[in-house]
Amino acid sequence: MADKETVIGPETRISGEVRGEEDLIVRGRIDGKVQLTQTLTVEKGATVQADVDVRHLIVAGTVVGTMVASESVKLVSSARVVGDLASPRVMMEAGAAYRGRVDMGDIAAARAAIGSHAVQRPAASEKSVLRPAPPRMTMPAKAVVAGKAAALVAPTAPGARSAPAVSASGSGPASPPAFPRVAGAMGAMTPAWAKKKIRRR
Amino acid sequence: MANTVIGSSIVIDGEITGEEPLTILGTVKGKITVAQSVAVEAGATVEADVEAQTVTVSGRLTGNVVARERLELKPESKMVGDAKSPRIVIADGAGFKGNVDMDV
Repeated sequence: MADKETVIGPETRISGEVRGEEDLIVRGRIDGKVQLTQTLTVEKGATVQADVDVRHLIVAGTVVGTMVASESVKLVSSARVVGDLASPRVMMEAGAAYRGRVDMGDIAAARAAIGSHAVQRPAASEKSVLRPAPPRMTMPAKAVVAGKAAALVAPTAPGARSAPAVSASGSGPASPPAFPRVAGAMGAMTPAWAKKKIRRR
Repeated sequence: MANTVIGSSIVIDGEITGEEPLTILGTVKGKITVAQSVAVEAGATVEADVEAQTVTVSGRLTGNVVARERLELKPESKMVGDAKSPRIVIADGAGFKGNVDMDV
């Protein structure tokens, strides 16, 4: 077992980069970057705050970051996930909390993006995922006018962001019958913690 | 027993902190701070400063080690770095280069 499976225990935290060619089960915490040729399982109670590039991703805990899975992603009911997701097969169970963009198409592009991001900003991934709207970035000392402009732009951001996700689910190659129902339910079932974050934007 | 296992194909570049036993079969570079035991198994490579209660090396370790209770270098192990621990065991066949500090 120990030969083909890596476990990060509940009382262990890794900050940095994890690479490997075997299954990785996280019960504790990883901050940074995870790159595997096999399956990453984030168990209930575990936290991964990292850019993730794996074959299969199974989430029952919390993941914040950009996720690329070359084969499949499964968010089980206890999952709490924030960040863009790229994989040909995406499964979400009822009760899973997710915010971000889903792309079932161009995995290679998403992977390339994750690679360059990781080089430029290893630890800043959470911030950029939570606030991807660029207008805010360009209003440092630039008077009140700039602030107003940003305020006008900001409310449209959530809608603009969710639109691609919906179209992706429609044109997705796998399109399991359960997906539209889950996607439709997402809005009504958005949990309080996610709503708070959306409102803040 | 060990709650955290770093498998043989895994490479970690960074810091590991924890409150539970850590077994390393792969590669870790950076820093390891664990409240309990660290085992560097045969075939494993650690290039890190290690702080733990007990440290057992069967593989290859480069870095300074502080073991609050015990440091053990097994027969086929290789260690380069300073060792600080009240009890240090170096088995016949182990390779070691560095300072030893037993607090005497």
